[in-house]
Amino acid sequence: MNQSLRSWSLIAGSVLLLALTGCSTIGAKPWERARLARASMQLDDHAVEAGIDDHVYFSKEASSGGRGFGGGGCGCN
Amino acid sequence: MQLKPDEEKPAELPTLRRSLVAASCALLSATGAVHAENTDWQIDSALLYYQEGKGRVQAVEPVVSVKRDFGDEHVLGLKLTYDALTGGSPNGAIPSASPQTFAAPSGSSLTQNQQVQTYTTASGRTVRRLDTFSLYTATPGELPLDTSFKDQRVAIDGSWSQPLTDAVKLSFGGGFSKEHDWTAMNASVGLSRDFNAHNTTLSLGLSGEHDAIKPVGGAPIAMSDYTLFQKLRQESRSSTGGQIGLTQVMTPRWLLRLNMNYDQSTGYQNDPYKIFSLVNADGTVAGYRYENRPDSRVRESAYLESRIAFRADDVLTLSYRRLKDDWQIQSDTIDLKYHWALSDDRYLEPHVRWYRQSAADFYHLFWDATKPLPQFASADPRLAAFTAPTAGFKYAMTGPDGGEWSARLDYYFQTGKNVQKGPGVLAPLDLYPGVKSIMLQFGWRFGL
Repeated sequence: MNQSLRSWSLIAGSVLLLALTGCSTIGAKPWERARLARASMQLDDHAVEAGIDDHVYFSKEASSGGRGFGGGGCGCN
Repeated sequence: MQLKPDEEKPAELPTLRRSLVAASCALLSATGAVHAENTDWQIDSALLYYQEGKGRVQAVEPVVSVKRDFGDEHVLGLKLTYDALTGGSPNGAIPSASPQTFAAPSGSSLTQNQQVQTYTTASGRTVRRLDTFSLYTATPGELPLDTSFKDQRVAIDGSWSQPLTDAVKLSFGGGFSKEHDWTAMNASVGLSRDFNAHNTTLSLGLSGEHDAIKPVGGAPIAMSDYTLFQKLRQESRSSTGGQIGLTQVMTPRWLLRLNMNYDQSTGYQNDPYKIFSLVNADGTVAGYRYENRPDSRVRESAYLESRIAFRADDVLTLSYRRLKDDWQIQSDTIDLKYHWALSDDRYLEPHVRWYRQSAADFYHLFWDATKPLPQFASADPRLAAFTAPTAGFKYAMTGPDGGEWSARLDYYFQTGKNVQKGPGVLAPLDLYPGVKSIMLQFGWRFGL
């Protein structure tokens, strides 16, 4: 694994550690989640649109994926 | 402590939990994600019109995604996609100071004579084929485009997800895609677990894909002389991938997602329609060769996404992706959207994306004809070093039935980096003109 991805792993590990140790400043209580529950805050909102974007960029660039298992499935690249 | 009453809260808590899990299970996002709200069926549809400048590729792509929640978060998803592509696609050769004539992939000769061609494959098999062909010519200074490019694709994807316990969720997915020269099948499985009172979700996903590639006219023998049209019947490749995801509620207005991805692909990696030019010291073209890429590719990427809520219903979404592969391509992608709620039923969403990549280590805009051929070489512009900004916006409104109508327009353009200058008569020519395109999309999603 290259250096930059090792750095990303470190970031992920740090966030995870903070989360799992129950850091009091991270997270939301159940009664604080109304804003998070709105459609505009959903990470997978507009997935069809995201899929179209992935397909277009995949056909023009050497990179794909990230959000999920992107790319593939066609001979456009 | 007096808590502020929130009428939406009781109904939305399950939605939040679903979305957190679904976000981490985005590795199964091939079927899209229409929110499981208060209706049994959720339909998400879109129609894309894509057009590149200067007579290049044009595409129309309708997509319909259907999702059904059978209760208790047992969710079935199906997505149907159709692509129709026409227009000119670069064949990899550079512009020349002289006219250049090529044969469409279905052809196998640069002469006007129809002929029976016989040759022996690497396995010793003798192939005999009656040639048919169509020619196209690039004028001096013009980027050679294969104007016979035409394709249609139909893809169907499905997924199923269900909870195993209150905190653990299992997902399956699969897909099938068919073009006249390409068939792809893929499958994936994902497992996610909530921690920390559903503020943290960890996910693990695995995927596999197999592609059967049957190029028009056959798959050319790598690095062979273009004029000989030595082609085999078909090729294949397989890939496997894995993803570890972390989704974290940072604050009541801030969500964070981080995905680490790894995938490897083995088998035929070439573009069977791409060639590269051999150039003499005076800039004249000495010939063309079919490209050759390594028969494997390993990619690693990290993806970070942040969503922060402002005001009543505004949301700033910022994502960054870093990708690196063993072809020495490195890329960075930054994507920024601002969901600007104009009212309860309308929003405007400006969008900016910035992308850059380095070139593959075997990418060559052209090859010096006086030098021995390398083991690997490709002039595919998608493997070159370039930057590519995108800018656009989306406007959406909610109808009286609760359905959402939207229109989106994006403008995309690529600019080459460190583009190699041609020698002699090629010096004044733009050898890498890049690409400009627009994406116009109409969307409609609703519940039944």
